[in-house]
Amino acid sequence: MSRSRHIAATLARAGWRGTTDARLGLVGASASRAAFARRTREAFEELGPAFIKLGQLLSVRPDVVPPEWVFEMESLRDSVPSAPPEAIRAVIAEDFGATVEELFESWDDAPIASASIAQVHRAILRRRYRPVVGEELAAGAELAVKVVRPGVERGIAADIEVARSSVTRLPRLPGMARIDMPALLAEFTSTLRSECDMRNEAAVADRFAFDFRDDELIVVPRVVWPLTSRRVLTMEFIEGWPLSEISDAQRAGVDGYALALHGATTFMRQVLVAGRFHADLHPANLLVTPEGRIAYLDFGIIGTTTPAQRDAIAQILVATVYGDADRALTYSAELGLVVGPDRRGRVRERVAALMRDTLAVEPRDIRGFAIGFLGIMADEKVDIPVGYGLLIKALVTVEGVARALYPEIDITVAAKPFVTEFVAARMLSPQRMYEKLPAAMNAALRELTR
Amino acid sequence: MADIPKPGSDSFVRFLAAWALVHETADEGWKGAIERGREQAPGEMDAGPEAFVDGLSAMVAAEKERMKSELSTGPGDIAPGSAGDLGGKLDELRFEVAEVRGKLESMQAALDALAKRDSTS
Repeated sequence: MSRSRHIAATLARAGWRGTTDARLGLVGASASRAAFARRTREAFEELGPAFIKLGQLLSVRPDVVPPEWVFEMESLRDSVPSAPPEAIRAVIAEDFGATVEELFESWDDAPIASASIAQVHRAILRRRYRPVVGEELAAGAELAVKVVRPGVERGIAADIEVARSSVTRLPRLPGMARIDMPALLAEFTSTLRSECDMRNEAAVADRFAFDFRDDELIVVPRVVWPLTSRRVLTMEFIEGWPLSEISDAQRAGVDGYALALHGATTFMRQVLVAGRFHADLHPANLLVTPEGRIAYLDFGIIGTTTPAQRDAIAQILVATVYGDADRALTYSAELGLVVGPDRRGRVRERVAALMRDTLAVEPRDIRGFAIGFLGIMADEKVDIPVGYGLLIKALVTVEGVARALYPEIDITVAAKPFVTEFVAARMLSPQRMYEKLPAAMNAALRELTR
Repeated sequence: MADIPKPGSDSFVRFLAAWALVHETADEGWKGAIERGREQAPGEMDAGPEAFVDGLSAMVAAEKERMKSELSTGPGDIAPGSAGDLGGKLDELRFEVAEVRGKLESMQAALDALAKRDSTS
């Protein structure tokens, strides 16, 4: 069977199975969406790298697909057989004009990780190197070398082209009616192009390391630029336990609670202070080092926030930790989430009820709140702006990561003092005082003369 | 509990705390807000904007107590134009220069590879 027929048949089978699972739509809207999402995720896994990347893109886009799809797609397994050693060696020889033996003190042909776009090999640094951020790397330092799999870009592009006609059927599935498939595919192609250029990831890693240079608990691997190219990223190898193996770290005496709290606060610093945040957090991208520090790996997906967005986000977080639905909706509008006047009262009531159900009882459930909130917006046909969706997803992920470190953690414990101070400082800044002074004077005069 | 890093606006709470320190005779409303803020229990929600003011008041009061104990250890914040402030700007500039150096090193490696290929072909 040709590739195009195989893709069409697999997606059609997923659609049929989703329809059966959803009992032809009789199980309710949310359950139907969940059934289709599960079957589509399975189909994407079966169809390989291009579809796995598409699913991963959808998993950080609550503005594009319903929440059930977002959270189903995050469980996509991105594990593929590794490329043969000679193919990887050829990529390096082509990019640097030298063999791995000439470039490195030693090189390991067996990859330590293998995903759809790239695979990672261990090596040893031949000559000392002064990185952009941090102390010098000594000769003999252990390295992690990420190499883009040969032909991956061409293969994925060909699959996307073939899939274009099949995937346009997605809007007919439950909850997908508003999807703009041509725009999504264009964005996907652009994201993929950026993700296949390792120099972008290297630059983001350096910037992240610089932003957190004063934080002794955060580790970012140092980039070796002379051994980095479009298809090769060479970084320092970091020893540590993946979050999925945190029990080993705990046995080694790492304070999981302190680390979880610190991780949540670091995320808020990323969003509200630095204006750049790691938007692809999952257990494989985070390590706990034997010294009890958090190591960030893989900077493929990064979200950014403007100063105005940061103020609005801080206000929404304040509204969330203090249970103020009006404030949440007011500042959500500043981020582009606009609820029409005819629906505002109903949406406010539903959001307030959701806050009571998920955030006013312990343990507080940010994930439950996020899914519920996005569900309300989907029901009320309110469009979710791109940045807003990414941020909600990232916040949910931070809670998940913090809970992997310490299952009973309440991340609002970290959020409350941080955002309270942040918002108070902004509200009473000289600029804002200047803007608000006339209204304040009027109010004061009215009070005094009453 | 672990220390929570500051959001980068800590000078503001310290300013309020300094004001509170100088004006030890706070009014009853302020004292009440501090008490309510201190008593905010986890899970206590739906109190709206007043809860935010109470929470902030409690934070300012806690900072005031910290300031009292720090008074003998000298200034903590960095004033604009001071050596510390300048250090931050220098750091940023050094980073930008190093960032360009890194990219040049990568480009040089690519250039060397192409030149080598050209000479062998």
